[in-house]
Amino acid sequence: MAVMQNTSEKSKWYLPGILTGMGITMRHMLKNIFNKKEMITLNYPEEKYEYSPRFKGNHILTVKKDGAIRCTACMLCATNCPADCIKITASEHPDPHVEKYPIAYEIDMLRCVFCGFCEEACPVDAIRLGPEWQTPGLNGANFTYDIKHLAYRPGLKGGIQSVVDDQERLKSGI
Amino acid sequence: MQQQPLINCTINGVALQVKAGSTIIEAMYENQQKIAHYCWHPGLSIAGVCRLCMVQIEGNPRLQIACNTVVTEGMKVNNTSDQVVEAAKWGLDFHLINHPLDCPICDQAGECGLQEQYMEFGKYNSEMSEKKQKKHKVVDLGPTVVLDSERCILCSRCVRFTDEVSKTHELGIFNRGDHAEIGTHAGKPLDNKYSLNTVDICPVGALTSKDFRFRQRVWFLKDAETVCNGCSTGCNVKVYFNKEGVFRVKPKRNDAINGHWMCDEGRDVYKFVNKENRQIKGHKLANGQWHSELHAGAAAKDASLSLQGATGNDIALVVTGQHTVEELDAIVSTFVNTYKTKNVYHWWNSEATASEFDGILLRGDKNPNTKGLQQVFAKHGIATKFSDLDPAKVKHLVVVGPENIPVYKDFTAKLEFFAKAQNLIYMTSAKVDSLVANKSLKSATIIPLKTYIEKSGTFINHAGVSQTFKKVTTVVSEALTVVEAAALLAGQEIKIETLNPKNLFVAANKPADQVTLDFRKKNEFIFQRGKL
Amino acid sequence: MSEVKYLTEFYHLPEFKGLEGYKKNGGYVQLAKALKMQPQAIIDEVKASGLRGRGGAGFPTGMKWGFLPKNDEPRYLLCNADEGEPGTFKDRMMMEKAPHQLVEGMIISAFAINCKKSYIYVRGEYDDSINALNTAIQEAYKAGLLGKNILGSGFDHDMDVYRGAGAYICGEETGMISSLEGLKGQPKLKPPFPAVQGYLKKPTIVNNVETLAAVKYIMRDGAAGYRKYGTEKSAGSKLFSLSGNVNKPGNYEVPLGYPLKDMINVLGGGIKNGKKLKAVIPGGSSAPVLTAEEALKATLDYENLAAAGTMLGSGAIIVIDDSKCMVECLANLTHFYHHESCGQCTPCREGTGWADKIVHSILSGKGRLQDIELLVKVADNMKGRTICALSDAAALPIISFVTKFRDEFEYFVREGKSKVKGTAYKGHAYAATASH
Repeated sequence: MAVMQNTSEKSKWYLPGILTGMGITMRHMLKNIFNKKEMITLNYPEEKYEYSPRFKGNHILTVKKDGAIRCTACMLCATNCPADCIKITASEHPDPHVEKYPIAYEIDMLRCVFCGFCEEACPVDAIRLGPEWQTPGLNGANFTYDIKHLAYRPGLKGGIQSVVDDQERLKSGI
Repeated sequence: MQQQPLINCTINGVALQVKAGSTIIEAMYENQQKIAHYCWHPGLSIAGVCRLCMVQIEGNPRLQIACNTVVTEGMKVNNTSDQVVEAAKWGLDFHLINHPLDCPICDQAGECGLQEQYMEFGKYNSEMSEKKQKKHKVVDLGPTVVLDSERCILCSRCVRFTDEVSKTHELGIFNRGDHAEIGTHAGKPLDNKYSLNTVDICPVGALTSKDFRFRQRVWFLKDAETVCNGCSTGCNVKVYFNKEGVFRVKPKRNDAINGHWMCDEGRDVYKFVNKENRQIKGHKLANGQWHSELHAGAAAKDASLSLQGATGNDIALVVTGQHTVEELDAIVSTFVNTYKTKNVYHWWNSEATASEFDGILLRGDKNPNTKGLQQVFAKHGIATKFSDLDPAKVKHLVVVGPENIPVYKDFTAKLEFFAKAQNLIYMTSAKVDSLVANKSLKSATIIPLKTYIEKSGTFINHAGVSQTFKKVTTVVSEALTVVEAAALLAGQEIKIETLNPKNLFVAANKPADQVTLDFRKKNEFIFQRGKL
Repeated sequence: MSEVKYLTEFYHLPEFKGLEGYKKNGGYVQLAKALKMQPQAIIDEVKASGLRGRGGAGFPTGMKWGFLPKNDEPRYLLCNADEGEPGTFKDRMMMEKAPHQLVEGMIISAFAINCKKSYIYVRGEYDDSINALNTAIQEAYKAGLLGKNILGSGFDHDMDVYRGAGAYICGEETGMISSLEGLKGQPKLKPPFPAVQGYLKKPTIVNNVETLAAVKYIMRDGAAGYRKYGTEKSAGSKLFSLSGNVNKPGNYEVPLGYPLKDMINVLGGGIKNGKKLKAVIPGGSSAPVLTAEEALKATLDYENLAAAGTMLGSGAIIVIDDSKCMVECLANLTHFYHHESCGQCTPCREGTGWADKIVHSILSGKGRLQDIELLVKVADNMKGRTICALSDAAALPIISFVTKFRDEFEYFVREGKSKVKGTAYKGHAYAATASH
């Protein structure tokens, strides 16, 4: 790529340009100092921007009213996952109305491409992509999220309840 | 045998010749014509209850069921007309109106007759707006099978199976109308040696196997055909596996050997194949110390070094009828030709019960290849008795151990017996912790072997039928086949098949146990229910 | 034409029930006569008489007997006395009033088809019939009319009464055979037909009570004499069970071809409480319904009713007056068939339940207009798709009710109440909670 160089006489007078530039900087600095409310940057990471709940970030496993995992371990998310990052181990639930449930549900976040296909494949609204996305980690941090983290991590405050309720479904005879 | 006369008929515009007395559905199957059906099964009597196999016969105003209509000379049949398709669509809708549609948690999803026919005739919205009939779910029928009555379409295949094939009569249909349910009588669970066949023939997810229940979705599995090594019948089976291992075994139709069925024992045979039960590393005991991280090949080479110079009565070989003819021939000829000995012994666990037969499939001889072993012995002129073997007198004892340990009741005792040898070389696919724990051993090598699904070969069954099968998949890749181990023991190198780099990325050369995304999509078409 | 007393000639005599009274009035004379004939001659006579099955299907009896394979023995004769068709009660009267009439007819028929063993399968609820038949059979054994060497002819025959357990489907001939074999009362797949492979896989003839009783009268009067009554294709007389909103319900024997109008107005004494005729079910609940105009034109014989789009069936005439809601009437029928479907074939098992649920959802005011069309479609696809005729029996009334009284159904869906009664349905909406 060729770079255009201004070699005119006028350009040798650089001082006014610098001063104008510094003036603009100064103006913004003063504005930010005296009128903090209108400041458009954030003090990241102390302050964080609140994303829309519809943002496709880290996965959440939703729970039923009683706090149990909603997932039925149908493995449609794992089937649909283009990154092959979901691993589910199913088992027989003691309650015959539930029948099948996951005893292990792991998502390898480093492989995940956040496409949201899992959310779309889910027939029972058990997995959602949440607004949370800033989950940095140091060397050795575990990026394979297990079922506890996905459903009950502190940020979810005891789990996200999904809209469809089993009792109501049973009542309406679905 | 007298040849059956052929008669002419036309099915879907194709002129065919079929055996006299065959039904329309049989004629269609023999000629690769598609027809929907649930209750008809070639191995069972005709029930005629699902009413899905409707066909139009020229000259007959009413649709007829193909399964109970015998082909007559000059009959013109079709099952593609609008009237038939409409009938099949409604037939399917009648099946579906009270079906719970819990495909997400149903193990049959992916190989379900209802799903298949829905894709064929359905793809419509149900007009049923009323409440569905509630029935029992998760009914424990017996030690092997779980029933979900809501999914059941009452095709009565399982009932007919227990009446006609296993002749145990455990199952029945209780109540009538849309309250009808499959069930067992109190205190009489579905407990027979063929009970899991009912799961195979169930066209929907009503009967599920406790063993396979919830372990895998079927579309994650691939299948390949092999021969069961559970007993000397040699049933043809399909093994379902993926990269995590083998998950289930189902019968494959072979009218000469097993018909449509297999026993429940044979279905458990996959278990010793999976990694958790396998000998993965070679072990070597030297100077009172076990080296347990040896590669299989290295262990075999070590063993061959320790055997150097051994000949005649110094050395003995013990084999079982659990390996293929090719393998047995390789190891026996190594001993006969390289070590110049005929001290080869047949370790036969079930000699006393070998002639037992339960009248259906199960045989007393729990080795798939006893006949083959006897033929190999005859070929090499070996006539020894196992009772003559005294390991204490033998310097080097090579044992090719069985794969299916549970059927070798005296297994641990025999291991202790073999451990009396000065130098024991034990080849095995199964874990032998008791051998490693045995303190009386002086010098020993354990060489991991491959199991029957990891190699191609031939089994000769009780009737002398020789069945060649191909490798299904690889579970423990570094284990050796007996052929390879025999070559190494003889001091030769084994030939490792290498792929031409040019062909490496051609689909046909993909390793068999890789389940790729492509394959998952393909699997949807591989599973064809009702074509056992 | 008027009511006749042919089969029912002596029914008013209480003594006709016993062997003595029966013999006094011409009983067992025909048996003695028949035993001297050639069996084939009896079959030919029955064929010539044009006797058709009185149980519902109206299949020519002589032809049925002719289907028996020549040399396969033993053979069985079953008398179908499992009278389950709603509205029918003629067999009951015949068994209670004249059990010997049936026994004699059966022995003659058994001799004709060379059968050594026969059963009478009686509906479980018919206590009096069972007692009457048992007494009659015992009397017959004592009098040498049953057992070894009947009346010195060398013909042996044994007869037993089998009590059903009260399933409608056991009135279907193969269902009855299954039940008799000790299996679940479910119809068997045809072919093979019972005449070739029936009870215990042996050739079996199944006939209705009235059919078998009529055989005696064919013996007495000959084919030509039997044809004195009735029409060319529907020969003889038949018992009709008249019920519903008429002044004088009951069993009436009339020659076939008798006008339905007269049956209702003359014999039945007209519609109860001076109401107007709205509809008639002419042949038991399985027969399609006739509107008043159709009913007034119809005559009671096989071909005329078939031409009117319905059937003679078992001869149960159910009269419905204009104060009855047809939706409720249909709900009654669909509930019955839902309850009685054996559950073997899918279209019937699921279809009867589905139709029942639709009708009841209309009754409970939750119906949609498309439900009416759906009801016909469901019934259409149940028709002719199953092993036995129960599915057809359930479907035909649905189709006829909905097509002939569509306005009432549409009104009920739109307004949530009956067009005739002007009120909502007060009965149970049992479909949703049905338990058996």
